[in-house]
Amino acid sequence: MSVVKQDRRKERVDRGIKVRTDGVYAVSSWAEITYLLLPRMVLILGLLLAPVVLTAFPYWQRVLSHICVYALLAIGFDFLANFVGLVSLGGGLYIGVGAYIAALLNSHYGLPPYVTVPVATLAGAGLCTVILLPCLPLRGVYFAIVSLMFPLLAPRIIEALDIFGGTDGIVGLDGFPSGWVEQYLMIGCVLIAVFALRRMVTEDVGLVFRGVKDNDQAVKASGIDITTYKALGVFIAAVLGCLAGACLAHIYMWAGISQFGLDYSIIPIAATVVGGGGTLIGAVIGCVILVPISELLRDFGTLRIAVYALILTGFIVYKSEGIMTYVTRKYEQFERWVEI
Amino acid sequence: MFEAKGLMVFYENMLALNNVSLSCGENRIIGVFGANSAGKSTLMYALSGLILDIQKKEEMAGGERITVRGDVLYFGQNIKSMKPSHRARQGIVLCPERRRIFVESTVLENLKIGGYLANSRQTQETIEYVFTIFPALKRLSKRLGGFLSGGEQQMLAIGRALMAQPKLLLLDEPLLGLSPVIQYLLAKAIKEIRDQRGISIIVSEQYARPVMPIIDYGYILENGASVVEGTNKELMDNPDVKAAYFGS
Repeated sequence: MSVVKQDRRKERVDRGIKVRTDGVYAVSSWAEITYLLLPRMVLILGLLLAPVVLTAFPYWQRVLSHICVYALLAIGFDFLANFVGLVSLGGGLYIGVGAYIAALLNSHYGLPPYVTVPVATLAGAGLCTVILLPCLPLRGVYFAIVSLMFPLLAPRIIEALDIFGGTDGIVGLDGFPSGWVEQYLMIGCVLIAVFALRRMVTEDVGLVFRGVKDNDQAVKASGIDITTYKALGVFIAAVLGCLAGACLAHIYMWAGISQFGLDYSIIPIAATVVGGGGTLIGAVIGCVILVPISELLRDFGTLRIAVYALILTGFIVYKSEGIMTYVTRKYEQFERWVEI
Repeated sequence: MFEAKGLMVFYENMLALNNVSLSCGENRIIGVFGANSAGKSTLMYALSGLILDIQKKEEMAGGERITVRGDVLYFGQNIKSMKPSHRARQGIVLCPERRRIFVESTVLENLKIGGYLANSRQTQETIEYVFTIFPALKRLSKRLGGFLSGGEQQMLAIGRALMAQPKLLLLDEPLLGLSPVIQYLLAKAIKEIRDQRGISIIVSEQYARPVMPIIDYGYILENGASVVEGTNKELMDNPDVKAAYFGS
């Protein structure tokens, strides 16, 4: 009792409206409904309106498609890393496999994009899962290394055997009917992917995924085969990646070995770190920020990577929680000083 | 020599330690008893300074905000905001809960790592000493830490802490998960360390039965607050303590 009692500390308390919207009272008034819908609507409407707003800048419309390609990869990466516990650097593999399958179907069999994209997505995801299947027992950095090896390996094989057009790639593919179709297809895929995955990770199967991440031995002890679930997790991430790859091939009307590039493995990680890992939406936000920056820095050539590294380091050191985690906390909680 | 005054620790809005004060004189063994979630580990973190480390990590990851209030005095100096590594240099060494030995290093290597702060003569001498109080370790000195049994790991953890030449040794749940025979053996060893090396020891434990006889003074924690304190005789005669810790 002799301690001086003027000490204060900052307390974090949930906002009243946040607590109410957790339960059935969420639909009790417009205020609550607005509170819940506002952030979601900002994202949905923001993405849907972006192509319209950018009508005058065709170049930036193309960048928007790029953002979506990276966003799909980043969502997959975030899901695998923060919900299944597999740090995958295989972004380039997914993109490349998706792009090549779509390109082959289109150039050899003359199938139109609305057939090649779904087929390339599913077949490519299956192929990627089979390729990564032997590495699934590996954890942490080992899985990361092995998954990075495949996108490095694939272009060398294509080069050496001179298959699939060799270094020139496969050219002359059909494009999407118009820029609008292309952009709204990509945006629709991103929105569906992010909200579907957010729902899935709270369902039963999501619980198992998170269990595999936390303590795989305890999951095994519950009679669940973790390899099946890890494979399923990889398949989901690969679906997103191959979808992005197939679309990318039709956007550029070309598939080539640069689509196994390191960018597709690295930028999703950067975006996830910047946006906030484990939030899924954070990955999209990260891409919306990072990809345009990377376009603006194109004039600097390879220095681009250096600037990227700086941004990433800064975020990890000063705000490793990420934008989304920070904003969510501010939205849901307020702070006040209390006497101790 | 060592004193904590009015320690309060908040994990976000949860009060983990509520105004706990304790003091430890030279060449004494102090016991801190409490059930799970009583705040023993938090107290040890606060005394060893690890709480500052945890606080920083949580802050960077955007996790819980940890608030620490109160003073920690060591030889009259307030070390409240001193980093854990500096505290270890000053002689406050923690032997962490669940042992945390280096599983991929041998017993001897574990001890040598612990002796980072000591000079080579002290290292030699202390290794010899650890092998005399824990003869079991001598046989196993080439074995990897991960292949030791729970009791041997605990001996190694205490030995490693001794290597840092502590003046004050903080033992966080040294008897966790050990059989009663080993528990008594370790309690005896703790007393020997105090008697032979003149090291003050603060030991936190759930199992009061083996530890109570060796302590000079003890504190009972409950829900983060120190509810009873006294010499071991006083504590053992206290009917509440008896009922809770000695089952009679």
